[in-house]
Amino acid sequence: MKKFLLLLCCLCVSVAVQAQVLLKASTDKTDLALDDDLTLTVQVSGVSGTMVMPQLPSLPAFNIYAREAEQSTVNGRTTLLFRYVMVPRFVGSTSIGPIKFNYQGKTYQTEPIAIRIYKTAVPPTAQKQTTPAATNTAAKATDTDVNQLPPLEQELATRAYAHPNQIYFLTAATSQKKPYVNEPFTLAVRFYYAGAFYDAFYKNPEVSNLLLEEAGETQGQQTLHGRVYQYTEKRYRVSGVAPGQATIGPATVTYRVGSVNGSLLDRFFGGAAVSKEESVSSLPFKLTITSLPQEGKPESFYGAVGGAYTLSAKLDRDHAEAGEAVTLSVTVQGTGNLKTTSDLVFPEIPGFTAYPAAPQTGNVAGSTTRNYKVFQTVLVPTVSGSYTIASIPWSYFDPQTARYKTLNTRPLSLEVSPSSHTANALDFGAAGHTGSGIQTMGHDIRYILTVPTEHTSWLARLPQWKWMHALVLGWLALCLFIASIGRRTAQRKHAYTQAKAQLKKAHSYEDISDALATYLLQKWNISTASLPLKSIVQALARHNVPAAQCEEFSTLWKDLESARFSPAQSDPNALAQFSQRAQNLLKNWENLK
Amino acid sequence: MRKLFVYLTLAVGFLSPLFAQENSSQAESFYRAGQYAQALAAYEQDLKLYPNNPYLYYNIGNCYFKMGSKGLAIANYYRAFKLNPRHADIRHNLELALSSGGDTLVPTGIPPAVHRAFFSLSLAQLKGIVCLVGWLVCLLTGIWLLTRKGGKLTLAAGIVFVACASWYYMLHTWEKQPLAVIAAPAAELRSGPGTNFPASASISQGHLVQVLDSKDQWQQVVVRSEGLKGWVESSALEHI
Repeated sequence: MKKFLLLLCCLCVSVAVQAQVLLKASTDKTDLALDDDLTLTVQVSGVSGTMVMPQLPSLPAFNIYAREAEQSTVNGRTTLLFRYVMVPRFVGSTSIGPIKFNYQGKTYQTEPIAIRIYKTAVPPTAQKQTTPAATNTAAKATDTDVNQLPPLEQELATRAYAHPNQIYFLTAATSQKKPYVNEPFTLAVRFYYAGAFYDAFYKNPEVSNLLLEEAGETQGQQTLHGRVYQYTEKRYRVSGVAPGQATIGPATVTYRVGSVNGSLLDRFFGGAAVSKEESVSSLPFKLTITSLPQEGKPESFYGAVGGAYTLSAKLDRDHAEAGEAVTLSVTVQGTGNLKTTSDLVFPEIPGFTAYPAAPQTGNVAGSTTRNYKVFQTVLVPTVSGSYTIASIPWSYFDPQTARYKTLNTRPLSLEVSPSSHTANALDFGAAGHTGSGIQTMGHDIRYILTVPTEHTSWLARLPQWKWMHALVLGWLALCLFIASIGRRTAQRKHAYTQAKAQLKKAHSYEDISDALATYLLQKWNISTASLPLKSIVQALARHNVPAAQCEEFSTLWKDLESARFSPAQSDPNALAQFSQRAQNLLKNWENLK
Repeated sequence: MRKLFVYLTLAVGFLSPLFAQENSSQAESFYRAGQYAQALAAYEQDLKLYPNNPYLYYNIGNCYFKMGSKGLAIANYYRAFKLNPRHADIRHNLELALSSGGDTLVPTGIPPAVHRAFFSLSLAQLKGIVCLVGWLVCLLTGIWLLTRKGGKLTLAAGIVFVACASWYYMLHTWEKQPLAVIAAPAAELRSGPGTNFPASASISQGHLVQVLDSKDQWQQVVVRSEGLKGWVESSALEHI
């Protein structure tokens, strides 16, 4: 029972803790210049369910440019984070009043935050005597307030005076007239209106020799010539690309306004009002982009122009084994345009093999003016020991002072132990100046070799002797040719002997025919198998065989065929006679010249 | 003018080996002083003059090894091994570099003596022997055709020729197989050619792989020691 009560108590306490709602508000600074921005962060924790927005107080001294909201839930407790990026409008002391948050019927609120706004970024103590309250000034903004506005707003307001009696008009102005190359400045385009409209569409101005990036939108109110105008302002972050002239073309806003000039038919079907499209444009203007001074330009300058830069470096670990990858990150943050700057060149770090990675850029969370760039390189230590990675310099040009300034990272320490992954505990490399130097080495690679200028063996050069291939193949062809001729001559020479021997051994008429045919083939290359008798005789005549002998051959051949294919006429003594006749014929042919 | 051109050409021809010699001795000085990057640059300069010199590849491999780039060291040792497989130092350093990543030069199941015998000649030398034996066969065949003598010797030479040609074919096939080595500190083996495919394994530097296919900036490989198959970014590979 006691245990149950204890458990119940614990449960109640945890529910009570979970139900506790905390509301906190903070700013990233309490003193700022007119051209600076302020980030207000409101944190609500201990809530659940649908996200509820906090109620901001009236902030006449600021224009809110960006809003962000984040929600995270840990162990059932939800934390809501709201960020507001604000740009001051007036010089003086002001405060951000209590921020209210309603949750489950209860209202929570924060303490007011006092803010001081200065005309420039000079120390606040120098400005204290001449700072009227910003809240009062904002509340009473009239035609005479222009001089107290920040320079950019002052110019916009002054330009607005050039449009008397217009209900809709557009003005544009920049915070710099002669910016340096890559120096960030602001282009503001303000759409004034003193009448109703809808479906407004902004067309960004065309620019040359400039980079343009949208930086937020705000609304406000201004009294001109005694008439109250509302305005919508779009801001752009701009930077010059190259020295010389740059142009900003006209920005345009297209909108629709209501009209009662519709026809009777329109009124009958579509209602009483018919809208029409109108547009207003700002005037184009030119800027001069100033080149950066060459004098005093440090080697570690990569093109960054601006102010309030910070530089930091870190390793992803402080201990590694030889051969393991360690990531070194160098982060630059500031108000300049870092996207267009060159990549940081990491100095060669003795004892490490470096593999640089592509840098990453982005805007600092909750800020429209500050951005960052992270340079990374993967370092692979080759030898164990204690290392100190020296400071890495990074320079920028400060347009306020027109001088180059150099930032340095703090030195970083890294302990490298011998590799445990390689066979025989190998520790690659043994450069004397890099590590502690003494290693227990199981094996090492063998020393370099003296390079001979002539290294190709005679065997490897043999295939290059193309003439040798031709020579040998020629030899083979010649031998084949000679051998072929020799065979033909030998055949001719031995034709009679061979035929005579065949005739002596003949047992049939067929044997005698074969002996004659073989002789003709070998002696004169006359094929009896493929030729008729008449052609054979003609071939013999071409070999200068006398007509009488040709006739004799013809008679003998016919008789032999008759004897072979007509057995009735065959005579046993006739075989010897035929053989003798054939022998006589061949003997006569042999005696021919 | 023509004469001047001829003299200049001859002078460059005679002097370039001297310059190369000087460059090599300078590289050795850098190497001895532990300035491996400078030594590497000097050897690579020489390599432009002698692109098929195994000793230069060997020395470049040594520089990379000392600088910790095991993958590039293996690639260069392999190139040296192909050009001069009999050299003991080249073989030793290649085996040592491969063993640190778990690879072996001699494939499993093949006796080392057989492997050594197979790689006792380079492809160029073997080609020379094939030519020499081929010429001998032609010569003997011619003699046999004319005299009908020496038939057995001709037949024996023919058999030797066929054997050498087969050896040459096998060595040529081995040399032409598309091998590469992981040169980046680590490479991710993915199931497809892109980072949108999941990584199945991480391969450390120095592993030998066989390239099967390529698509854009990705290569399909087989890791020889593990038998793994997948796609690796081309920038992480050094082709041998």
